[in-house]
Amino acid sequence: MTKDDRFQSLYQKYYLRIVRYFVRSFHLSEDDARDLAQDAFIRFYKAMGEYRGEAEWAFFETIARNVAYNRIRSQNAAKRRVKLVNIEDPATRVPGAPEPDFAKQQEDAIRWRQLDDAIAELPVGQRQCIQMQLNGFKYREIAKFLGISEDAVKSRRRDALKHLREKLGADVLPEDDE
Amino acid sequence: MNTNPKHEPPTSDEMLAYVRGELSADDEARFRDRLIPYPELVRTLTASFPTEGAEPGDDDYLSEEEFARHWAAMQRRMARGVVVPFWPSVAAIAATLALVFGALYWRAHTEQRLPRVLTVDGQTLFPDGNSRGGANDAATVTPHGDWYSLVPVLMDERPFDNYRVELFDARVNPQRSLWSVSGLRRSENATLIVAVPRSFLTPGIYRLAIYGTKGAREKHVNNYTVRVAR
Repeated sequence: MTKDDRFQSLYQKYYLRIVRYFVRSFHLSEDDARDLAQDAFIRFYKAMGEYRGEAEWAFFETIARNVAYNRIRSQNAAKRRVKLVNIEDPATRVPGAPEPDFAKQQEDAIRWRQLDDAIAELPVGQRQCIQMQLNGFKYREIAKFLGISEDAVKSRRRDALKHLREKLGADVLPEDDE
Repeated sequence: MNTNPKHEPPTSDEMLAYVRGELSADDEARFRDRLIPYPELVRTLTASFPTEGAEPGDDDYLSEEEFARHWAAMQRRMARGVVVPFWPSVAAIAATLALVFGALYWRAHTEQRLPRVLTVDGQTLFPDGNSRGGANDAATVTPHGDWYSLVPVLMDERPFDNYRVELFDARVNPQRSLWSVSGLRRSENATLIVAVPRSFLTPGIYRLAIYGTKGAREKHVNNYTVRVAR
């Protein structure tokens, strides 16, 4: 099978699944995902002569993840460059919207700041687990990313919550597990 | 949570090095710590990747006609060529020119002094961890005229097609990449020749990292820690 034949076969089998992967995992638009998938396949095609069999697909996975990483990183950088609007500016208020509860907002902001500060003081392993959990990752994903077992993640999370409750009070974070 | 991370996220090159397992355990830990405040980037590493392809007859299997259409579009994209970012290109060209002129100067200098025997009068460097070198025993390098002529000895299992050299400022943590030059060829005696302009290296500690390249693959080969004295 020639390089072009192998490429065509992989492309026909995987193109739409890769598009779905980009849409589902990174919340990209369908158009963006199609563009990104094609970009990944082009990069793969240019370099695929070096790989065979399973290594070839692992190589494609690396390229696809890297392409997504680049896109999201540059999107984030673009967002950071966008001018921020002060939501407390009366000029930005929606007419008819209820008056914001500034006292509550202030209180929430202070609590979040205290929580952020307390998390920053946790031992590295506990801090990473709590940060990832608050960012919506599941035990399985945290374990995979940190290269530890799910039990270790749960244990670190438990220890972290204990520290945080001691420091900030009992209701600082939810008790429930996944 | 952590809406205002203190650090920039790792670059895509760092991400690739992480995925390829080229980072030391410490660097891996640092990489993860820098990435965690950016959950959407973490997801690019944790999201399950498709492992099974569609088969003919499945809804998401591309027909021959569809593939032909995509293939034509891809060829148009490939024909447009790679858009090379401006500043990295300038830096790469500058580094290459420095290397070329350094080599020319060096050759002229050597030929002038030793008309019959062409020798490389550079400073031999042994990889870190070798009995003759190492991070705790950084080789002090001295310039020849306006250049540092460095001759790192390669200790790789198998020769690569080409080599890439990257210079890091080892005084800062994480180490900062200063420049990189690729396309270097290994000499018969398993060395590379690297000419660095004298003005480029202020006194301090630097790490020379060498990567072997074969096709699209790149593998870290050796590190060389060097000291530039006052």
